[in-house]
Amino acid sequence: MTEIKVHNHNKMKVKKVFSDYVIIILMAVIMVVVFIITLYPFLNSLAISLNYADDTTLGGITIYPRKFTLDNYKNIFTNLTIWKAYGITFSRTIIGTVGGLLITGAMSFALSRKGLAGRKVYTMLCLIPMYFAGGLIPTYFLIKTLGLTNSFMVYIIPSLVNVWNMILMRSYFQSVPEALEESARIDGANYFTIFFKIYWPVSTPIIATIALYFGVFHWNDWYTTYVYVTDQNLRPMTSVLMSIINEASFAERMAAMGADASAIGNAVKGKAVNVRSITMATMITSIVPIVAIYPFLQRYFIKGIMIGSIKG
Amino acid sequence: MKKETSIAVPPVEKKRSFFSRAIQQWDLQVLVLPGIILLLIFSYLPMYGLIMSFQEFRIGDFPGMSEWVGFKQYASLFQDPNFFRALRNTLVISLLKLTIGFVCPIVFAIFLNEMRRQGLKKTVQTISYLPHFISWTVCALLMFDLLSVDGGAVNELLLSLNIIKEPIGFFQNGKYFWGIALLTDIWKELGWNSIIYISAMAGVDAEMYEAADIDGATRAQKMWHITIKAIKPTIILLFIMSVGGILNANFDQIMMLTKNMGNAMLTEYADVIDTFVFRYGISMGRVSFGTAAGMFKAVINFALLLFANKIAGLAGENALF
Repeated sequence: MTEIKVHNHNKMKVKKVFSDYVIIILMAVIMVVVFIITLYPFLNSLAISLNYADDTTLGGITIYPRKFTLDNYKNIFTNLTIWKAYGITFSRTIIGTVGGLLITGAMSFALSRKGLAGRKVYTMLCLIPMYFAGGLIPTYFLIKTLGLTNSFMVYIIPSLVNVWNMILMRSYFQSVPEALEESARIDGANYFTIFFKIYWPVSTPIIATIALYFGVFHWNDWYTTYVYVTDQNLRPMTSVLMSIINEASFAERMAAMGADASAIGNAVKGKAVNVRSITMATMITSIVPIVAIYPFLQRYFIKGIMIGSIKG
Repeated sequence: MKKETSIAVPPVEKKRSFFSRAIQQWDLQVLVLPGIILLLIFSYLPMYGLIMSFQEFRIGDFPGMSEWVGFKQYASLFQDPNFFRALRNTLVISLLKLTIGFVCPIVFAIFLNEMRRQGLKKTVQTISYLPHFISWTVCALLMFDLLSVDGGAVNELLLSLNIIKEPIGFFQNGKYFWGIALLTDIWKELGWNSIIYISAMAGVDAEMYEAADIDGATRAQKMWHITIKAIKPTIILLFIMSVGGILNANFDQIMMLTKNMGNAMLTEYADVIDTFVFRYGISMGRVSFGTAAGMFKAVINFALLLFANKIAGLAGENALF
């Protein structure tokens, strides 16, 4: 039976009709286009960041540096602003991700227990904000009234609970066999032990996924700083990068700080080149950690999205 | 024996009040309550804050305690030409994303599913997720460079193909903005948005394709009758959810591409409801007026979601709720 199937299958493969070829060609074109369009901007910026600033002015840099140098990176890392911004981004990402996982995780675990008193009401409370939100201005006044403006905590506290992540985690915990909980209850374990010692260790896929979601949000968030933070010492990488893009003077200052005296004395043109190289080097520096991590978490987040899609 | 106890227990549990049950399972309540409290503060208090749109907020007022003015803010909102401009821009950009931007990941997923070389397929997939993980700040920077008048790759390519004679100033003329908003959105989220369809396709029984092969089905027929049929429920569900967000033009994206609305050449086509709310409500301090615009957005979004959900229900498809 199987043999016949294989035989037929092979036969069908040989006999391709015209529309099959059209589809194969279309497929190849789509894949090549997606591949190039996605990668080119990144490779181009990487090449510029690794190219001599003066040489970059001549134009024509594509995906590899023409005159290789690490000067642009040296320049930005002699700048204190970048180090501070990097520190803020790192600390808020780590604290925000761990905190988010704990609070949102504990909440989703509790909501996945059928015996939770008040479960229906709690679940309703979680679902309503997904469809109706107070929006920008009321939130702004809330944060202000709570005294969170210009405080590091504004990066952490408002994002500890994320309802979307909660639903994904809850679905996962629901899929863990209940026998695990029951046997632990019989042994006299309380729910803290059951959550942290039993459910947490068997939930690596969803925890990795949600950690990635929280992490990416914190790493990339620009809005919170733009609206609530004016203190220069609390600015993350995204805001510094934004300033470099938008304020030519800011970038020039940065370029000048790292460069030696003769470079500062250069013509305006020379300065402008430095700005572009500096911008690209800063940008690459800001995306490296995330770009290095996500391919390894791929199989987890694909699973995470699948869980979400099944539960709707 | 065991069955009897498990049946007998629930009615007893039901009779007891919420509080006595909650106290008994205090550890479980401690796990859920921090989240619920944060939710009440950060999601529900802002909903209460929407009443500011029926008041006249003055600086120094405690939010929600200002003088009541009824629908005055809404009346002036609906007389403001800038509001209608923002509404138009939001609708155009959203509808572009909801049609073209919605179809692209589906097409990408379907064709990716046709790839037989697993290694190559994996590579394309991984690369396609990359832009999702970068911020809109980085994305805008890449786009400024790619679309630059001065040696940007797109202009260079169009010039070398003799399609244009002069480089196009994509960010110097508002008429390109809607297209840029759509294309940058597709560029950023194409791969990511396709994951859910790829997962749905992975759930299709391989025997279905084998059976179709035996029946002599062409690739096109298999794509249409098996692959697309398998992802139809997912498509409908995601479409409903997108309809509910139709007035949410991506704030980050718009702000970045317009350099925090600093690029005045783009305002006519780039000012959306969110940037309008932000500008009036926070930058200019017309808090109640801005809140009214925000309330308008929230209500319309919610109504559209209910509407789309109803239509899906009538069409016999799985609705959201």
